[in-house]
Amino acid sequence: MDTISRRRFIQLTGAGALAAVAPSLTIEDIANAAITRPLPLGTPILVVVTLYGGNDGLSTVVPFQNSIYQSLRPQIALSESEVLPLDNELALNGSMTGIKSLWDRNQVAIIRGVGYPNPDRSHFSSMAIWQSASRQAVRTGWLGRWVDTQNEDPLLAISLGSVLPPLLAGNKRSGSVLPLGGLKIPTGNLASDCKKLSLTSASDSPLQALAARTLGNLFQISDDITPILKAPAPPASDLPTSIGGNAGSETNLTQQLEIVAKLIAAGAPTRVWSVSLGGFDTHADEKRAQSALLGAVSNSLSRFLSQIRSTNRKSDVVVLAYSEFGRRVRGNASQGTDHGTSGPVFVLGEKVKGGFYGENPSLSALVNDDLKVTTDFRDIYATLLEKVLGTAPERVLGTWQGRTPFIVV
Amino acid sequence: MAYRLPIRRPKSVVSNQRYPALTSALVAGSNLHRGGAKEFTRYFPVLHLLRLLNLYIDEVASTEERRALSRLVHRFGFGPRPGEFSQLLTLGLPAAIEFTLSRPQLDIPESIFSLHGIGDLGDQPAANNISRFVEYTNNKKFQLGKISSLWLSWMVEGENQLLERMTWFWHGHWATSYQKVDEPYVMFKQLLTMRKYALGNFSDFAASMIMDGALVYWLDGQRNTIKAPNENLSREMMELFTLGVNRYVEADVKESARVLTGYKVNKSSGIVTFVPTLHYSQPIKLLGSTQSFDAPSLARFLVAREDCAQFIAERIWYRFISSNAPLPASGFLQKSFTSRDLSVLIKSLLSDNSVIYNPSYSQVKSPVEWMVSSLRALSISLTSDLDVDFLFNRLDAMGQRPFFPPNVGGWPADEAWLSTSSAQNRLSTAQYLASRGDLSPISSVSRASRIDALADWLGIVGFSDRTKNALSGAVNDLPRLVTLALCSPEYVVNA
Repeated sequence: MDTISRRRFIQLTGAGALAAVAPSLTIEDIANAAITRPLPLGTPILVVVTLYGGNDGLSTVVPFQNSIYQSLRPQIALSESEVLPLDNELALNGSMTGIKSLWDRNQVAIIRGVGYPNPDRSHFSSMAIWQSASRQAVRTGWLGRWVDTQNEDPLLAISLGSVLPPLLAGNKRSGSVLPLGGLKIPTGNLASDCKKLSLTSASDSPLQALAARTLGNLFQISDDITPILKAPAPPASDLPTSIGGNAGSETNLTQQLEIVAKLIAAGAPTRVWSVSLGGFDTHADEKRAQSALLGAVSNSLSRFLSQIRSTNRKSDVVVLAYSEFGRRVRGNASQGTDHGTSGPVFVLGEKVKGGFYGENPSLSALVNDDLKVTTDFRDIYATLLEKVLGTAPERVLGTWQGRTPFIVV
Repeated sequence: MAYRLPIRRPKSVVSNQRYPALTSALVAGSNLHRGGAKEFTRYFPVLHLLRLLNLYIDEVASTEERRALSRLVHRFGFGPRPGEFSQLLTLGLPAAIEFTLSRPQLDIPESIFSLHGIGDLGDQPAANNISRFVEYTNNKKFQLGKISSLWLSWMVEGENQLLERMTWFWHGHWATSYQKVDEPYVMFKQLLTMRKYALGNFSDFAASMIMDGALVYWLDGQRNTIKAPNENLSREMMELFTLGVNRYVEADVKESARVLTGYKVNKSSGIVTFVPTLHYSQPIKLLGSTQSFDAPSLARFLVAREDCAQFIAERIWYRFISSNAPLPASGFLQKSFTSRDLSVLIKSLLSDNSVIYNPSYSQVKSPVEWMVSSLRALSISLTSDLDVDFLFNRLDAMGQRPFFPPNVGGWPADEAWLSTSSAQNRLSTAQYLASRGDLSPISSVSRASRIDALADWLGIVGFSDRTKNALSGAVNDLPRLVTLALCSPEYVVNA
């Protein structure tokens, strides 16, 4: 590109936008700052579990003694023999034995009635609201904006899987993606040429600059992570063999969390991990399908936390599990439920003060046949930012007063 | 086989017609993006002087022209065949657009089903009947492989590239997944419907899709009854297919679910049967008017709404122009959709110089778009000795396997495809393709000219100094050179 057209290009593209995306560091600088300095022991780590599809809260934390519950969804409602009571009113879905035993250890906070004002029943709008923590159409995620507040490090926030969730997209930077099964990348001449290809160029559009940078990250992440992935997972020694991954629940979530456990044990300088499970959009034949999904979530999380307990980072890890909305109280004709409003959020870990938080939405005070929202999800985010990530919530959420006191300081 | 382009002009001819963006922007005060007009005005005296002196003008203007043509060929098709980009440059943008829009639409003959063994598999046999069960499963696997490779080959070899590209767009729009439908035959019939209407009338299209077996099954339409409606199809019809979110209220979702009752789907044939006795035929109040509907008339009613023109314009803009920049406030695209004729909409989009020349609208190729354009450049035919399973595994690993959208919202765009994982998969795929493809368009060129030849071959605006530097060490190692070019930011991201 000759000088005239390059200059014009930069001016037309908008130098501001270009500067915001293009890193000032070279790839070598980034590589030197990576895993050679493991995360200091005692640094809190957040693991975010996204349940895509709208998890039915009433079949997760079940008001099993409530007659309205039984009468509004007769084909879906769980009976006393199908649940694990937590107190006189509420019980966990019977498939959630792993989480029940963590609850008994006082390591599970269940925040009830979580949502946001004027709930949106679209999967995409509502998930965008949860992931961006904004009602506006912003393209950044709350944890992406947190990444923006930190020093640049491609290992800081990692999502398992092949596509970056909006959750980890920031204004200036974003989290990285780690596919299952680890990374195989070329070596030799092709590798050194690729490293040249991943350098910044003044003529790149913001997206081209990002393409170059992710190519560079690939080589760095691969160098750092491949040896760790080959190591055996930390043992889940305190887990009874009747639960955990031993009962045919080798789901994709289990695999994702297995890798996270290995990497945390190895000291990866990663403060935020994102994993996910889909399939919660249970419009039809909900009862069995959702129990299987919740069983998978419960088994993989209890196995994961058990693995973490066998490492020297057992009190560092906090897990957040959420979905974009709960479902309608009344069942539909397909033995399923349609899109609803609020639902329970789970926070787990040794640092967590177990128990119920937030008012339980009353089944006798429905709003348009839906559950009331009693806790704004941003209260939970603000608490996690403050107590786990050690960042002033305003830097990510703007001014936000609400907190939920589920973390022991 | 490459087609013949209708007319050619000598390359040396420089006419005003070749720089419509520059001249119209200057004359009309420009509706280019923010700051654009000012920049053009600032440079106008310089350009004018250069043009008078006949100096540098070709170089400066050809970047504009190359960008516009690169967008035409990569976004409104799946990238150029070898030599095609140079031919389009010679032709100039207006003629190239005309050429793109006027390719004949070859219909898929009914015999495609029998020819390739795609058909109704019937009910799944009981698992205890081992031999029948195994046969059934093998048939299903065979048919899934067949419909996948057939579609990929249409994308790679289809002569009407705009049609194939639009069909691909519609798959992401009416995003239906094999994961739940589980019937290759039914998915294939949906594909043929989308291809039939890809550039046709959207009202006919929507009326056809709302009766499509795969879509109805995917969104539980067959389970929706008067007594207790299942709102899945009703909601997505408005939110994701015709109007867009927040252009209706919750009551509209509930009301339209009532009239979408009485449609039964046969799972294995995908045939949708209307059962009048199970249908709610009374008038409903929908979006401010009261009338009775069946499924097709509901679809046509929604498509006739003004919000539908807005929504489809937004979706086309998002997928073909920019997922970052908003649809221009001028409303030109919506206005062009008054007749609901999709080909008119696309023509209007292509003909707007403030869009196609605007340098800020760069776009990431999705994995399918990237792979198909690479196959085309490398003249790799799907019938040749090719590991098609490998290609689908790569697409799967990159998160975009045709017939398997992640959810009813379709695939993400732009930044989502720029992950370390995508970069890794692109690299390994590019290595494989470079080892199989025809590299003669590059090997036949002198080493010194290879990098420039690569840019023309792949339809790239131009390589940056950074990329030229990375490529320069590989000019003697053609597979490596091509691998790097396919993974360069300039190819992965259409400028």
